Amino acid sequence: MAALSWRHHTLIQSLLSRGPLKEDDFASIFSQLTVKNSGSRKQQERKLFNEYLKKINAEFSCVQLELRACRNQYDGHVYYGVVNNVEDDQSKLGTKYTVPQIAFYKGIVEAIIHDAEGEGCIYNTAALNIRLESQVHGATDSQSQGGAVQIPPAFKNFSMSQKEKTLDQLVNDQWLCSTPEGKIGIGVRSFLDLRSWFRTNEVPSCEVCNEAAIKPVIGMLTLPLYRVYSKGYLFFGSRLSGLAQLCPNEACNVRLHSYCLEKKFSGQRGEKVCSGCGTQLQGSTVKAELVEEITNADVHLQNSQQAESSRKRSRRSNREANADIDDTGDDSSLTSATMSKTKRVTRSSGRLTSSCKCCFSANGSLADFVVRCWMTSI
Amino acid sequence: MSYAPEIASQFDIPDLEKDKLVGEVIRYILFKTEQNSGCPIRREELTQLVTAKGYKQRNFPSFVIDEAKSKLSSIFGYEMRELQRSRPSAAANTGRASQSQQSVGDAKSYIIISKLPSDVYGKFVEDKSSVHMSGLTFVVIGIIHLAGGKITEENLWHHLKRLGLHENEENHPKFSNTKQALETLVQQRYLQKEKVNGPEGNIVHYELAERALDAPIYDKIKEYVSQLTFLMISVLHYFLTDGAERCNAIGI
Repeated sequence: MAALSWRHHTLIQSLLSRGPLKEDDFASIFSQLTVKNSGSRKQQERKLFNEYLKKINAEFSCVQLELRACRNQYDGHVYYGVVNNVEDDQSKLGTKYTVPQIAFYKGIVEAIIHDAEGEGCIYNTAALNIRLESQVHGATDSQSQGGAVQIPPAFKNFSMSQKEKTLDQLVNDQWLCSTPEGKIGIGVRSFLDLRSWFRTNEVPSCEVCNEAAIKPVIGMLTLPLYRVYSKGYLFFGSRLSGLAQLCPNEACNVRLHSYCLEKKFSGQRGEKVCSGCGTQLQGSTVKAELVEEITNADVHLQNSQQAESSRKRSRRSNREANADIDDTGDDSSLTSATMSKTKRVTRSSGRLTSSCKCCFSANGSLADFVVRCWMTSI
Repeated sequence: MSYAPEIASQFDIPDLEKDKLVGEVIRYILFKTEQNSGCPIRREELTQLVTAKGYKQRNFPSFVIDEAKSKLSSIFGYEMRELQRSRPSAAANTGRASQSQQSVGDAKSYIIISKLPSDVYGKFVEDKSSVHMSGLTFVVIGIIHLAGGKITEENLWHHLKRLGLHENEENHPKFSNTKQALETLVQQRYLQKEKVNGPEGNIVHYELAERALDAPIYDKIKEYVSQLTFLMISVLHYFLTDGAERCNAIGI
């Protein structure tokens, strides 16, 4: 394959240097790099964009990296990033965080996932009160009480001020995000990196797209505030959608992202009912403009993956009949670089649906853009 | 990945294994650079990646490193620049043992530099949140260059203080710990530090290290310093001719 050009290199280096970029920003960089060559038609530009990404990923395959797009569930926006695909000795170097810091981060993510109120975020104070000992395997088991589980001194001595500094750092680096109410949520990098981890840890999935439904609350969305955000502060000024809705029937575990809900029922007449139990669903307050934006983004994503996703769907439906949960709890061992080698973690619950038509599907149809962040030692 | 037959054939190793090793070396370079904020990576570390796997063929580590260099360029647009570690001038001239950071055996090291044109890099790649370090690097190298390539620690901080950086400041809004920020430049091999025993006790000297003395960087520094010097002379000349009137005009 022909070598990548300086335009490809610019796209790659912009992601490596600036971190995950919002789709608009990334597409803007691409437009400025190629506008003279590609002409003005939007469709042609999209096609060229997809070709660029495909070519980059083909070259990345030899170094186990991939360029991926992923949706931030809090705001529904698509982000692009370069992610590591394999956990090895080299990738374990790729973090400036210490072991206790990583354990702290992991504790926060788990606390968010398991939050009883299901809001997909926890209070700052709750995050600071997380105990690192709980991250030591077996430390909290009743059988281990009085046993010989060694808590590393670094974990015991991880002070409150260290936690505060680490929390700020994690938010700054987009592993977590911060709300004006003082709550902590999951950041863009985590969405990019921990996709399989969420599945492995049985975070309930969206009924439509099969992605982890992190935040099952519908927020009141006001359009002007929705568009106000600053770097690292994904919620700023709004209680955003992009979240998942719980079925009102408490006995039913169906969840949907609000943007998936709108997509599913847009243009349909009649009531919105749960596909699991038939209970009527509350209307989402996602504005039409957001739905349109998400639709456009999804069309782009679908076009770029259409041929491959149909091949993968037929392969996956054969696999799903015997799908097992990969219970290693280790995100990094699951995927490999190329589309053809991508291995999915599936759930044996049978909840798996066909590939998502409105956002990232779990079947790896966007495997050309599969990415794992470099902080892989979680 | 295909290799030149005449080179690859001298090693009786399948291409797949070579590919894997080259990939590991590239990953090591990328991740290590990220972890240590751009500090040079010793060639010895890269060689060890190959030899630790049991490959004892002569020149094979060099082959793998060269291939990694080529791939970093073609895939990522990075140049893998080789630096020759320099020794402090005091130790080099007198030969006496001084508390130097270098060990003579660690000769070659590598950094990765973007090959993109500077305007493209500045517009699309540069991380604006870290430009303060670039600024500090330029200023410190410029000061030491103007001082003749070597300066005492006290003198260096004297000049930095005039620019608003204090030696013992730990909560600088950009640099946090300013002393640590300067130490980062030492770790990145822009500077080297040497403690010299003198009649008045230990004196710490800073001088330019191999990364600052690397031709492309050093030439640019000299050019910018020359431009600034010319600018300052022009400004001084402006005020020395009809100085009183011009000073009054701007309120001095």
